[in-house]
Amino acid sequence: MKRKFPMNNNQQTTETSVSTEKLQRMLELILIPTLFFTIIGSFHIHFMLTAGDWDFWLDWKDREWWITISPVMAITFCSALQFFFWKNFRLPIGATFAIMALLLGEWVVRISGFHLWSNYPINLVTPATFLAGALVLDAILLLTRSMLLTAIFGGSLFALTFFPSNWAWLAAYHVPIEFHGQVMTAADLIGFEYIRTGTPEYIRIIERGTLRTFGQHSVAVSSFFSAFLCILVYAMWWFVGKAFATVAYIKERI
Amino acid sequence: METQNDNNNAVSNPGLKKAKYYLLHGPRLALCMAITLAIYLFAIWYQFSYAHLYGLDAHDPVFDTYWMTWFYTEITLEILVATCLWGYLWITRDRNINDITPNEEIRRYFSFALYLAMYAWTLYWGVSYFTEQDGAWHQVVTRDTSFTPSHIMIFYLSFPMYIITGVATLLYAHTRLPLYQQEGISLSHVILVTGPFMILPNVGLNEWGHAFWFMEEFFAAPLHWGFVILGWCGLALCGVHLQIVRRVVAILNDMEEKNEKKVSNE
Repeated sequence: MKRKFPMNNNQQTTETSVSTEKLQRMLELILIPTLFFTIIGSFHIHFMLTAGDWDFWLDWKDREWWITISPVMAITFCSALQFFFWKNFRLPIGATFAIMALLLGEWVVRISGFHLWSNYPINLVTPATFLAGALVLDAILLLTRSMLLTAIFGGSLFALTFFPSNWAWLAAYHVPIEFHGQVMTAADLIGFEYIRTGTPEYIRIIERGTLRTFGQHSVAVSSFFSAFLCILVYAMWWFVGKAFATVAYIKERI
Repeated sequence: METQNDNNNAVSNPGLKKAKYYLLHGPRLALCMAITLAIYLFAIWYQFSYAHLYGLDAHDPVFDTYWMTWFYTEITLEILVATCLWGYLWITRDRNINDITPNEEIRRYFSFALYLAMYAWTLYWGVSYFTEQDGAWHQVVTRDTSFTPSHIMIFYLSFPMYIITGVATLLYAHTRLPLYQQEGISLSHVILVTGPFMILPNVGLNEWGHAFWFMEEFFAAPLHWGFVILGWCGLALCGVHLQIVRRVVAILNDMEEKNEKKVSNE
């Protein structure tokens, strides 16, 4: 697709090769947005139905589950698209492309669906960002040109940058508040104030087990566990991307 | 609209060639996208206007008036659209599919890419916008029917729309493009269409589960993971893109070689 056609003996571009170049660019202009919108759909449904609850609501963004689950579920499509773009076109943009698609899909619905339709304040339903991790992932693939090294270093950093890159906007909501004799975060209080009949409190999965008080470093433990999982998931999804980008034909009737 | 005569005119007409003959169906795609957008914006306005007013209690007669009427109307229209579009593509199929010029084949690949663009557009609305919007309704409102104001738009409007478009891409490829006649059925294309299509039958499991034991809405629940796996099939577009790119580049290489020979002979 990137190939330029040779010039003739007089070193002048022929009429055909000029139109060929334009034609190829025009084809790219159709195919790339097509892929972008398809990935918004595919990646978004994957993410919202595996990690969505932690991403929808401010009071689900805890120090354990949110940090552990979100990067692992988000690195999947980043890896698959890195395979597609890098192996076929030598473009180190797969992860950023995937994350931009996911974030665009999320923001449109958070504003239109959750904020304008269901009337929740936008800070209760702000999606998390993965952009820092995606940029790191693409940069490491570009520098190392290796799936294995990208899985180890890129996968780890994708998870480890997740909490710090979100902390700038999230920190204010983790301030402790005493309310009716109970200590809770500002995020908890906002969640209690805005009733969700379809998602009662007993469904909220946050801050469970002994990790929540374990040496006061639950964020670090969760992040490193997520980093370990991201390495494995990245490697697996590289091959998922390869499988889906297969050019194969079936002769028999199906 | 897709007859061989028209296509030959498009190729032989220098004016059309100058004006990017391969984008013959570009305006038609833009129109279809605009119509789809208008339909969805109207559907969203309808939800904003009447969901909280008349969509909370399925046993209220006014629910039937405002929501079930919409449901029956959209199902009827979808059957009509599917019949017309698929019928048109089949009736106007090329019966001499292996006897076309390289320029014409390139034009058809562009048209195929435009059909895929339309599929991507409808897929976005179905599995991204309306699916998460379903969460914005059901994580807030407890359900008492499978035909809620959000379900009527997601399951029975936006999903059938992308299924209709997806099947149209398959029909277009197999009735217009020589590659699929010669090589067989494209595995990635079939996955790209049938995977998201199966999301609609999977609604059966979803509604059964939500009606049987799980009236609340926890999006990450295993009950929903069928949608997830079927959603992955969108990645198969990568394989379809590779097929298009490789074939178009091969045609252009052939044309370039012929052109070079012609220049050197002169």
